[in-house]
Amino acid sequence: MKLSSRQLFFFLAAVAPVGKLVLMPSQLAALSKNDLLFPAALNLLLQAGAVFCALLFARRGQTLYACLRERCGTVFAKIAVCVFALFLWLAAFVPLLEQKLLVQNIFYDTLPSYIAFAPMFVFSAYLCAKPLEACGRTWDILAPMAAIGLLGILLLAVGKADYGALLPVGAAGAGGFARGALGVADRFFDGALVLAMAGRFEYRRGMAWKGLLCYLAGGAAVLFFLATFYGLFGEIAVFQVFGFTRISKYFSGVTVLGRIDFLFIFALAFAMVFYTVLPLQAGVTLAREALAPRNPLFAPALACAVNAAALIGVLAVNFMMTRVMQVFSGPLVWVFPVFSLAVPALSLLPRRRRHAP
Amino acid sequence: MTVFSAPPAGAVFFAGTHNGRRGTHTLRMDRITDLKQTLTALKRRLPAEDILIFSFRSADGRAFACVYADALTDKDLLGEQVLSPLMRYRGAPAASAICECVTAPEVRRCGSLRQLADEVLAGNPVLLWEGMDEAASVGVKKIPVRAVAEPPTDVVTRGPREGFVEDFKTNTALVRRRLKTADLRIDTLTLGERSNTAIAVCYLRGIAPKTTVDAVKARLSAVEIDVLPDSSYLTHALSSRPHSLVKQVGTTEKPDIFCAKLAEGRVGILADGSPIALTVPYLMAEDFQSAEDYFVSAHRATLTRLLRLFALLTAIYLPAFYIAAQLFKLQLFPIKLLLTIAGSIRDIPLSPSLEMLLVLLVLEVLNEASIRMPKYVGMALSVVGALVLGETAVNAGFVSTPAIIIVAFSGIGLYAVPNLIEQTSVLRLAMLLTAGSVGTYGIVLLSAFVLLYLVTTENFGVPLAAPFAPLVRRDCKDALLKYGLPSLHMRPKSLLSRNKRRMK
Repeated sequence: MKLSSRQLFFFLAAVAPVGKLVLMPSQLAALSKNDLLFPAALNLLLQAGAVFCALLFARRGQTLYACLRERCGTVFAKIAVCVFALFLWLAAFVPLLEQKLLVQNIFYDTLPSYIAFAPMFVFSAYLCAKPLEACGRTWDILAPMAAIGLLGILLLAVGKADYGALLPVGAAGAGGFARGALGVADRFFDGALVLAMAGRFEYRRGMAWKGLLCYLAGGAAVLFFLATFYGLFGEIAVFQVFGFTRISKYFSGVTVLGRIDFLFIFALAFAMVFYTVLPLQAGVTLAREALAPRNPLFAPALACAVNAAALIGVLAVNFMMTRVMQVFSGPLVWVFPVFSLAVPALSLLPRRRRHAP
Repeated sequence: MTVFSAPPAGAVFFAGTHNGRRGTHTLRMDRITDLKQTLTALKRRLPAEDILIFSFRSADGRAFACVYADALTDKDLLGEQVLSPLMRYRGAPAASAICECVTAPEVRRCGSLRQLADEVLAGNPVLLWEGMDEAASVGVKKIPVRAVAEPPTDVVTRGPREGFVEDFKTNTALVRRRLKTADLRIDTLTLGERSNTAIAVCYLRGIAPKTTVDAVKARLSAVEIDVLPDSSYLTHALSSRPHSLVKQVGTTEKPDIFCAKLAEGRVGILADGSPIALTVPYLMAEDFQSAEDYFVSAHRATLTRLLRLFALLTAIYLPAFYIAAQLFKLQLFPIKLLLTIAGSIRDIPLSPSLEMLLVLLVLEVLNEASIRMPKYVGMALSVVGALVLGETAVNAGFVSTPAIIIVAFSGIGLYAVPNLIEQTSVLRLAMLLTAGSVGTYGIVLLSAFVLLYLVTTENFGVPLAAPFAPLVRRDCKDALLKYGLPSLHMRPKSLLSRNKRRMK
């Protein structure tokens, strides 16, 4: 079982954008006000570049570990890949917290117990124990689902949005732009994910460009969502956390038909479950390849351990989401550009030439 | 002429040695030589009272014996085509000459006692005679069979109405009648140590992948079972995940569907004694299709397939979402519906989950009873079940009207795809329990589990969820959507058929 190019394009165009719809819109509205599109666009463009680099790297047909081992030796490759896996697990932390808050606030009328979110980790462990290639087929189903979900809520919301709220451009200033760009940088790690998938799909001619276009198309959908979100809520957008669950509820049909938008919200939430777990799974796949490629029990054991740690971590910072975000956009702010931008770019360094003796 | 059913007293067993430890006789030699000794040995092997021996002499005075299973033999044919010619026979005792004398079309020579015993048990009388070098068996069996009729599980308003029956030969004939080609291969093997059940592996040479055919034969040959009463016993052997709830082998009772599946590149399995034919590789999309889809317009077929999917999803999810909405997320109801529901459930003493479980349990019991009970009490059960139980329970305030409506709709919806009922009814219960305990997020997570499980399940190298995951665009023309016949000129790519084109 290998990923196909189509599955990867589906992921880039439709599944990857759903991870940017939970807390990022309100966070950007808080940091950059009506200029929220620009920091998001910058991050998306940088990630598009990283995705492009990772896809170019995949042209070699090697996994990251295989490439590092060839260039720098086994020991370095093992250490480097494990560090990269650690980064992916770290990158999964904020989306997991977002998912937990989303579940607590949107899926229940009253605040449920902490443990209501715990079954997520059972699913996550199950998914992590499977190789990364297994995800490809889920994207075949999830991509249309997520696309319909996003399109659905946008269609229900677009009539009520006042896009004039986005004007005047540049009101937040350079400071607001920078704060926004750095504040949400921890949601952009798709380049690193594609790099982890390298060697697990067959590279076809022109795939890097097509992948870039797919990612940009998904990014455009995110930007349109952000514009609609701010156009709908304006100054109070900062309080509208879990934006994708809120923008469509002002549709006039809701009073007659009930919250039909929940159909689309559930579709997005469904795709989001898989996207949230993906960095954990990518980390487990990389670690297995580097540490114990032939041991069939290693991946399930590591998957359980990683998810247990994630569950403990999520429970430990249960009411400290703001603090966690401050840490990620403060002391840890360098981590994401390094691993999700610089590493994919560095992966394009030319191979070491072998001189004849 | 004498007919006797017990071995003669004081019989001496040819080639028999006494096994002192067990006190039983075992035959070391299996060869056929002398009439009397062979007959005795055969009767020793087949001591049952319904195994009869008919002794007679030919016109030249040669002693003959015919050994047959009483209930399985067509005695008229035996008399006309075998015994009468042999009674007039004058000639050499060579098996070739005797076989030529017999006018029955199916005559086989048998060289060993074991072979003779197998033939008798299969319903083919065996002939033994004085001075024989080999014995012979004659295909004049007459097994009581049900007439070919429309299968109750797959009724169509348009299209062929024939269905498979329990008789192996009738079933292979029904297949052969539709596929009059030398490429149709019916490879038989026998399974079941005691039942000796004949199994036919059917496929079209040049279309079905050789790897699949070989894998099917290998998996079937590995089956070790003493009695094989039905083809469903083979589904475990043919599944890559034998303990899974998910169906991995296709089933059909209709020869037209069976042949259509063979023509797509699948391998079919027929088992003697079973009207259910198996087909592999199986795709989940198959069960959303009906034979009738190919006899009506493509638009109508597409609509009905989408309706089946809608009905199935509603049947699985509706009770669960109703419970989750009541317990955890009232916003899911429109306000007027919420008021109606609130009015209905106000005085119900049970919790929403328990109420729904109770109603589902009643539905399952009614369903189970209505399948098994005699038809003449059917009306009474309908009255008691639907009217008395349902209406009285609502009037008494045990259950609410919305719960009854939802369960009724769910019960009907599951039967829109009857071949998946075993799986979907369990899934519905699992969804309900999850919704009652974790709420809507539980439903999302369980659905994610199911999706992941389905898309990663493969059998014979073919993904179960194809052509949707992995997406095979060409095959989507006849999956949930149904294109017109001219668009279906290629065989399904997912099945890895050797010959890709089926129409020019």
